[in-house]
Amino acid sequence: MPPRLRLNALRTTQPRTTHYVCNQCRHASLATTPSAPIEQHSLPAAATAVIARHPPTQPPSYKPPEFRKSQLHRQYQSTLRSSPLILLFQHNNLKATEWSGIRRELTTALHKVDDDLAKSGAGDAGVKVGNGVKLQIVQTGIFASALKVVEFWDPSFAGTTSAQDTTPTPAQALGAKHGLSNDAYLAAKKHAKTQKHGLEPLLSGPLALLTFPDVSPQHLKAALSILSPGLDFPAPKRRVNPGYHAKPVQDGLQKLMLLGARVDGKVFDTQGARWVGSIDGGLGGLRAQLVAMLSGIGAGVTSTLEAAGRSLYFAVEGRRGMLEEEEKAASGLKEGEQKEESPSASSN
Amino acid sequence: MITKYITAVSTAFSPFNARSGKTVRNFLALLPPNARSKMAIDVKMFGQREAEKPASLSLTFKDGKEMAMDLEKMKLKDIQTEVDRHSRTLRRVEELSG
Repeated sequence: MPPRLRLNALRTTQPRTTHYVCNQCRHASLATTPSAPIEQHSLPAAATAVIARHPPTQPPSYKPPEFRKSQLHRQYQSTLRSSPLILLFQHNNLKATEWSGIRRELTTALHKVDDDLAKSGAGDAGVKVGNGVKLQIVQTGIFASALKVVEFWDPSFAGTTSAQDTTPTPAQALGAKHGLSNDAYLAAKKHAKTQKHGLEPLLSGPLALLTFPDVSPQHLKAALSILSPGLDFPAPKRRVNPGYHAKPVQDGLQKLMLLGARVDGKVFDTQGARWVGSIDGGLGGLRAQLVAMLSGIGAGVTSTLEAAGRSLYFAVEGRRGMLEEEEKAASGLKEGEQKEESPSASSN
Repeated sequence: MITKYITAVSTAFSPFNARSGKTVRNFLALLPPNARSKMAIDVKMFGQREAEKPASLSLTFKDGKEMAMDLEKMKLKDIQTEVDRHSRTLRRVEELSG
């Protein structure tokens, strides 16, 4: 017998994919994604080409997002993108008391710099860079991976839609524009074979980062005088800062080694980091020097161009003055002669 | 690695030299937390430009033996083996002497 229901006549929807989804998974995103057939009835075909099978707050990632390493990866990516100045240290078995002592000394020194800047008015109004500075231990392997993604993967948001147009492109709908996605991982892996970001040799062994929210040479100077003092950045004296010379802090500082720095995406070694710290007056001072130098160049050019005309003017003026003097002298002589003649005439 | 019988460590390296830098740094990371009080550790770091300069690592033991490691040929594992070998002899001597 022929079937009672003519399925061909009833089929007005697109054929569903044969991908089997278990009951749990099917209902996991029930709150956010409506069921397929209803959507396909009402909206045009283009918009329903991709249906998100994940919650918008948890797009698919290369590694499971519930792993600690995935969350650390995200945190490190965020740190790398938001800190223009990062110092890399190696920490060799520092104890907890040593860490807390070092962090205490560091925060005191940075707050002092903030207060000095606020008093002198040189810093940006109210922005306290010292509050955002953090000394943290990082998992080297995950940090290396995060650095690769930040350096070599570029989420081009140029094709992003405007507010009105809400039709999701397939990539967006599948959540491919975040740093944990498959795309990011593959792009980073591919480019890492050919390009280098310069920090590769440093990423081995126990690593600690000192991150600054802004490139501020004054704060860097204070941090280096605490963490890696030298002749150019002297450590605070015992009388001024006795806490700095306590045993835990000193022991801990001996075990911290400054390896290098990453400033605005560029890699510097220890010397380079110290050079950045020795810039007088901070970035504001550097900009002022640049402006003075540029305006100095302008003044020099104009004065050189004017010099020919100016010297000519002075020469002409000088000559005119000389001529006038000569005239005066000549007319004075003539008057004197006339006066002599007339009294002599009158006397005769 | 048995570090009990080391009295002095002296190194010079550039962290930007992938081979020797990593070896020396990982060796320094193997020293125990209280090591600094018991042994003299001298670290000299070269810059990025001197990355190709030959690195050096030399250790002094309790019995006065000085061991200079050839970082071109030795990896961290080899260095550990050398140190352990000598330290074990010192340990045996110490145990026997009571």
